[in-house]
This record gives sequence, C-alpha cells and structure tokens, in this order.
Amino acid sequence: MGKKSAVSPMIKEVLSHLFKKPATSKYPFVKAEVPEGFRGKQVYDINLCISCGLCSRDCPAKAIEMVEVDGKRRPLFHLDLCIFCYQCAESCPRNAIKSSEFFELASINKSDLVVKPQASSQKGNGAQQ
Amino acid sequence: MVLDFWFVFRVLVFPGFTSILFFTMFCDWVERKIEARMQNRVGPKFTGPAGILQPLADFVKLLTKEDIVPRDAKKTVFKFAPILAFSIMVFALSFLPVDGATIIPDSSFAGDLIFVMTLITIANFFLFLSGWASANPYGAIGAARVLTQFLGYDIPLFFLALAPAFLAGSLSISAIAANQYFPFVLLAPWAFVLFIITLQAELEKDPFDVPHAETELVGGLETEYCGGKLAFLHLTRDVQIVFGAALVVELFLGGPYGPVFFGLPVFWYTLWFVLKLLAVVVITEYLTCLFARLRIDQVLAVNWRVLLPLSVLSLTLTVAMTTWIYPLVV
Amino acid sequence: MGDSLQIQPAHLGKASIQVKADSNKDVLKILLETDKSAGIATLTGLDMGEKIGLMYHIRTNGAIVTIRTEVPKENPKIPSITDLIPGANFHEREAADLFGVIFEGHPNLARLLLPEDWPENLYPLRKDAKIDDVAVKTENSKNQAETVQPQSDGTLVNIIIGPQHPALLEPEKFSLKVDGEIVKQVEPRIGYVHRGVEKAAEQRTYLQDVYLVERICGICNACHAACFVETVEKILGTTVPLRGQYLRTIILELNRLHSHLLLLGHAGLEIGYETLFQYMWRDREPVLDLTELLTGNRVIASAMTVGGVRRDLKETNIPKIKTALANLKKKMDFYKQLFETEPTLKMRTQNVGTLAKEDALKLCVVGPVARGSGVAMDVRKDEPYEAYGEIPFKLITYNTGDSWARLMVRLDEINESINIINYAIDNMPQGPYRVRVPRVVPAGEAVNRVEAPRGELFYYVKSNGTAYPERVKVRTPTFANIPAFIKIAEGGNIADVPASFVSLDPCFSCTDR
Repeated sequence: MGKKSAVSPMIKEVLSHLFKKPATSKYPFVKAEVPEGFRGKQVYDINLCISCGLCSRDCPAKAIEMVEVDGKRRPLFHLDLCIFCYQCAESCPRNAIKSSEFFELASINKSDLVVKPQASSQKGNGAQQ
Repeated sequence: MVLDFWFVFRVLVFPGFTSILFFTMFCDWVERKIEARMQNRVGPKFTGPAGILQPLADFVKLLTKEDIVPRDAKKTVFKFAPILAFSIMVFALSFLPVDGATIIPDSSFAGDLIFVMTLITIANFFLFLSGWASANPYGAIGAARVLTQFLGYDIPLFFLALAPAFLAGSLSISAIAANQYFPFVLLAPWAFVLFIITLQAELEKDPFDVPHAETELVGGLETEYCGGKLAFLHLTRDVQIVFGAALVVELFLGGPYGPVFFGLPVFWYTLWFVLKLLAVVVITEYLTCLFARLRIDQVLAVNWRVLLPLSVLSLTLTVAMTTWIYPLVV
Repeated sequence: MGDSLQIQPAHLGKASIQVKADSNKDVLKILLETDKSAGIATLTGLDMGEKIGLMYHIRTNGAIVTIRTEVPKENPKIPSITDLIPGANFHEREAADLFGVIFEGHPNLARLLLPEDWPENLYPLRKDAKIDDVAVKTENSKNQAETVQPQSDGTLVNIIIGPQHPALLEPEKFSLKVDGEIVKQVEPRIGYVHRGVEKAAEQRTYLQDVYLVERICGICNACHAACFVETVEKILGTTVPLRGQYLRTIILELNRLHSHLLLLGHAGLEIGYETLFQYMWRDREPVLDLTELLTGNRVIASAMTVGGVRRDLKETNIPKIKTALANLKKKMDFYKQLFETEPTLKMRTQNVGTLAKEDALKLCVVGPVARGSGVAMDVRKDEPYEAYGEIPFKLITYNTGDSWARLMVRLDEINESINIINYAIDNMPQGPYRVRVPRVVPAGEAVNRVEAPRGELFYYVKSNGTAYPERVKVRTPTFANIPAFIKIAEGGNIADVPASFVSLDPCFSCTDR
C-alpha cells in the first residue's frame, strides 16, 4: 500500500467513476440471478404427502390451512401470510414441500397468492398455480 | 430599443425566455446524469432518449398536483414570491451576452455587473420571503439560513467579480466578455478558484448545502410548497445554477467568443457559450459530489474568516499584477 | 440485612440473589461499592400469580448477577434505583407501563411503550389482562398537551423531530427545546413501533418463536434468533455441535458486516455526503448476496434453530465467499483513508456529540457507543459464546467519545469481522451441525447475551414445562443507548443532532419490540 497520503481519496475515486460502468443491475430487463437454495415459492408434491398436518401446526405465520381434497386433508399455502421460513419443509416427515427459485409473486389479485394442492405433481419454477 | 418583431423574438424565443427555460432543464439533466455517474449510478434513463426529458416530466408532474395554501400563511407573499424570484432571475440573465449580444438587445450599460448582482440578491431575498411566509418552523429556519448564507457570500462574490472588471477596465459584463484577449482565468487564476468556491455557496450546493438539508430541516424553505409553486421554486434554483455558471463564463472564460469556423458567428458564439457553461456545471457538480455538508456555523465561519479576506487579497493581487507585471509581459 | 437477603445457588452459571422489596437499593449499594463500573442490563418483570416478580439483571465484571424481588399485585410499590444507576430510567418505566409497578422516587414515570390513549389500569404483560378487545378511548388520554401544536416557552422554541422525519429511519418522537441554536432539553417518546412481541411469544411454541423474535429487527435478525435459541438451549442443557457453532458464528458476523456497512452509508446521508452513501451501499450488496448464498434470503436469515443451524455450508460455495470478502477488504482500505482524511467529514463528526467515559458507564450504554468512549465491553470477549472463544480477534476501542470515534469503531469492526469469517471457514470442524431437541422444554429459566451489531442483546426466557414459554424478555441495545442520546444532545448545537444521532445507530424496531 505504501505510505498513506493526507489527501482525501475521494478526489480520484469520484473522477474515475465517470469512466466506469454503473453498478446498477438493469432488472427487470436483465434477469435477476438467485443462488441454489433460495427460499422462493413453495412447490408441493401431493404424491408424497401423508396428511399429517405438521406443516400447518408448525407454521409461525399460520399461513397453511388444511383443506379437503379428494377425501384427504391437504395443505393450502396462503402466500400473503407466508414468511418463507420453510419450517413447513423441515417439519414435513416426507419432504413433500420444497422451495423453488420463483420470487416474482407480486399481484393485484388475491387469488394469485394461494398455492392450492393439485392432483398432479408439480415440478419446475412454479410459475403456474 | 425598437419594439419590433426581432426584439420580441430575441426576448421571448431565442435566446430569450423559452430557450432559457429549455436550456435550464437541459442543464438540470446534465447535472443529474453527471452526479449519477460519479456515484456509480445510472441517473435518469427512461423518459426520452437517455432520460433527457426527465426535468420536463418533473415540471409537468408538479403542475398537475393539488396546490395548497396553508391557512396561516401570508397568502399574497406565499403565492407570488416564487414567481417573482424566478422572473427576476431570468431578467438578470437577459443582460448577459449569450450569442454575441445581450438577450434584450442593446441593454448593456456601464455598471451592469453591479446591477445584475443586485438583481440576484433581490431574487434570493424573494426566496427568503417565500420560506418566511409559510407558517412552518422548518420553513422559517430554512429561509433564515438562506438569507444568512447568500447575504454573507455576496460580499466576497462581489470582490472577486471586481478582479476581471479591473482586468478589462470596465464594469459592463458585455465589455468584460468582449475584452478578454487572454481568458481571465489565466490572468487571475486565484480569483477564478475562489469564485468557484463562493459560487458553490451562492448556489447552495455541497459543502454549503445547508438550506436544503433534508435530514435537519425536512424541506427547508420549500416545506409548505406543492404543485405549481413548488415547480417554480425548483426552476428558480435551476436558473440560479445556470446564471452562476453563465457569470463565470462571462467573467473568466471569455464569454461566448471563440473561434468561428464557417457560417454565422451567432451559431458559433452560442455553441461556445453552451460548451463553456456545461464545463462549469460539471466542475461545480464534481465539487458537490466530493464533499459532505457543513453546519451553518461552519459555513459562516468559512465565509467571514476565510473567503472574505482571501477575496480582498485577490483583488489587491490582481490590481498589483495588472499595474506592474502584466504590461511588461503581455 | 439479615433475613431480607438470601443468596441462591448459582443458576446456570449466573449468580442470583433474592431480596425483600425495600432492600433492593441496599444490595445494589454494596454491589456498586465492589465494582464501580457495574451497570444494569435490564429489569425483567414476571407475573407470578399474586405477586409480580422483579429481576434486576446487573452486569458486573463481565458477568450477570440477578437480584430478585417481589411485590404484591394489589400494592406494587418499590423504591426506584435511578439515583444509584441513572441508566435504569427507561427499564423502570417499561416495567411500570407493562406490569403496573410503581417505582417511588423515579423522576418521570410517564408512558413509555403504550400509546397515550391506552386504558388506564390495563397492564398487557400480566397473565390476567384482557387485551383482545381494547377500546381505544380518547378520554383515556392522560397527556392531551402533546397532541396540540407546540408552543414557545419564553425564549425556548419547541422543535419536534418525528415521528415522521427524514432524519429518522423509523418513527419515534423527540421533542427538543431549543434556545437559538443550542438544545436545552430533549424528551424522547418511544413506542411507535411497539408490536407486543413479548406477549406474542408467550402464545407460540418455541419453534415458532424463533421466527417471531427474528422479526423484531430486520438488520440484526440473526442475533435475535441466535440469542433466543441459545437461551432455550441453556434451559434444555443441550450443546450445539462444533460445526453448528462455527456456522452460527459465520452468519452472525455476516449480519454484523451488513449492519455496519448500512450504518456507515446512512451516516454519510445524514451529514449530507450522498456519494459516501451510494458507494457504501454498493459495497454492501455482495454481503447480501453472500447471506443469500448461505441461508436462502438476503436479509432475514432464518438459519438458526434450537439445537443448531438449519443448513450446512457447501464446499463449492467457499471460493465465492472468499473472493467477495477479499474485495470488501480492499474497499475498506479506501473507506478508512477517507474517514481519516476527508476534511468536511471530519468537521461534521469530530468533537461532535461527545460522551465522556464516566457518563457512558453511568448510563449503562452498550456496543460501539460504549467502545467509542473507551469502555472495553464486548460480550464476545467477556463471555464468549458460539465459536468466539476459539477465534482470535481484536476488541476495538477509541478514546475520544465523539461521533467520529463511534463510526471508526464500526469501520474497524468490519475488518475484524472479515478476519473472523475467514478464520471460521478455514478452521471449520467436520461433523453434524444440528441435534434434535424435544418440543416440550422442562421448567427452568435462563439468561443469555449476544453481541449484536448495535451492542449487547439480552434475553431472559422462563419455561413452565409446556411447549409454550412462560416469559420471554428482550432487552435490545438501542433501548439502553437512547438515554445516551439525551445526554449528548443537551447542550449541543441543533445542527449537530442528526450527526450525533446517527452515530448511535438507532434501531427503533428493536427498541419498541
């Protein structure tokens, strides 16, 4: 590093930024990268579920409601209450709840913010309900 | 002064009122883009190509907002002070030679430097009145700070402006601009540097940003304003910056005069004026990005203890150099 | 003293003394004679049926000594200790507000956390309080004068900063009485962000409470979670495996990096230095990306659980972490030189808001505010928790006590945190990172402290043998530091208020819970 100068380093730094690219990432025109393990929208696999209800009991935000689907109790996720802590995934004894990388959940319609238990298993980025 | 078509065209369209309005907005855009790039950001981007219509968009947006006058405010002063400040500022700008002649044709006279600077002081005083007339403690404190700041800094500004006046031998801005055989920035660089610093204080930019200190004063003198009147206050501030830069260009950088290559001199003079003005705007913006904001008592200490003695010294130095040194060298 | 004093055996590593209500001051006097720099950590109230228990947690010689007393519910009077320890002011007001205890001799027992129009005899933290259906009546409002337009008092002008003000990140009200440019008196009113977290924690299981206390504050979320789970682990008697401790240390230090970078940028904004603000927050982004890599979310980590951490650190992520930290370290050289040489920055922060060392001790301030005034207090060194006992790092103190010193303490702590994370990654032990714990916690109680970015964070948890805690008491660092702001601001320039205020690093969500 050499000897420390007594002049503010801001003088050179500010000028040098005129010739550098801005640090702004141009979202939404550029896709935002998320790492693996990101806690996004829930992906629920109905084939693994055993209807124990532990996810609903352990949810800190009371965002999971057990509803009747085909005669069995299945979890319904209220994404407007959810805090995305994934305690449900941890409590589930069969790993039926997994995270996805989908996070663009804002909507003007409350009905978009529920993840209903569907009859077929869903994989992928969960872009559809 | 004959009131004919050309007179009206000069005063109202080019290089008069309309051009000043759009040029002010252009300078605002330049300022914001430069500040953003220096801070590693993007700045205005989406309104118009490269965001150039952003200041116009802000102005129009403010005009569409509801215009509220507080119940306890002094209504006439509250409503008219911003517009008067803006008008006087534009009027002062019309005495500067922009394209080889003053905007109001044949209006330069001996001593118009002092006249123009007095006009600026009066315009600032109307800004103070606008803050004082709003019944709000933040507005009152902000207005008081504006008053202390510009009244204090007017004195060194004036002394420093006398240096190029002395070099040119005249107190008329057009004469000073026209007589710069060498740009006065080379003949009196000390006056130029001090003038830029004093200008930062006059224009209320960092480090002398106190009247606009949101973190202390919420909005300063603009706190109670909204809608069209706020648009005028913002415009006044932008015209102030243009005027300050234009004054530097006239006094130190040779005004609009520069090499003419082909065609009409008017076009080239305007071009040189614009380029020099933008250079000064970039310099002041660079200084803004470099520093934090000083406290009001520190601002006043810098004025009375540092700038005032230095400006008197600079005038003495200029006089000495002109009388004895320059006739030998130049 | 005789029968009014009983020394109980050391409980969970902390000494505990049981006294009768009116002799609390005598015990305190003896304690203060043995250790001049003792301070109060907090005052916990506890609903014990017919009595209200009060526990004075005193911090002395780097450890916590608890003085327990009880007052009957029908007549809850007890002498105030503010003449011995001025820093106990806010803690007693909180107990008065939430439990209804009357402290005789307290200078100003006004409402602290609850709003002005809360019903008179309703004390929320008592077990028999019915708070489901509180009718907010304005005739309950005791202090109508506050809602009226402020008036001048002679030559004193009343300037109100807040609740909404550009200088404040979160709403609190500070009424300043100003004479010209000098501030004569400061009166804070907190409680605007009070969400009743302590009461809510009693109605959720321990597992759900981890996520609840995490949301007391967004910036120090990992510290709240860590402190809570450590307290519960003390009651359970579990030891977290070594790898889990190291992982917790890494997440806590990442939290500290984030918080300090945020604050230094915010300090720049308060003194009008927008360029510093933009640069600092640009350099904060890689830290958020690292947190996202490790825990799945940029700010709220949700990584702690009772018994360990929820996720492991993957070997493939380590190079990314090391590169980001190395880049940050280079940038910190630039910032250090900037803070030491930039003239306008120094003019705004040096000799501004000076807090002398004796005042810092008397007011019981914590964290960088104390360390900036020369008090060498850091829970990571005094009572090492997690892996801090095994990781070497320096305790940063500056002696001048002004705003500049407090900001420099945080700047140097950023460098230390980078070193700690690098060391932890290099020396990470192999093995499990988590143990299973029962959902029902046996009866018991414990206290625990953690060094949050803003200072010492204090938790007290009492369990009664069910899956729901009996009492959770949180004492956040900013709650202990606000009296310091009163001391700093009075007698100073009004223009210095934002600069000295931001150097305290106030976090009002923490303060109010």
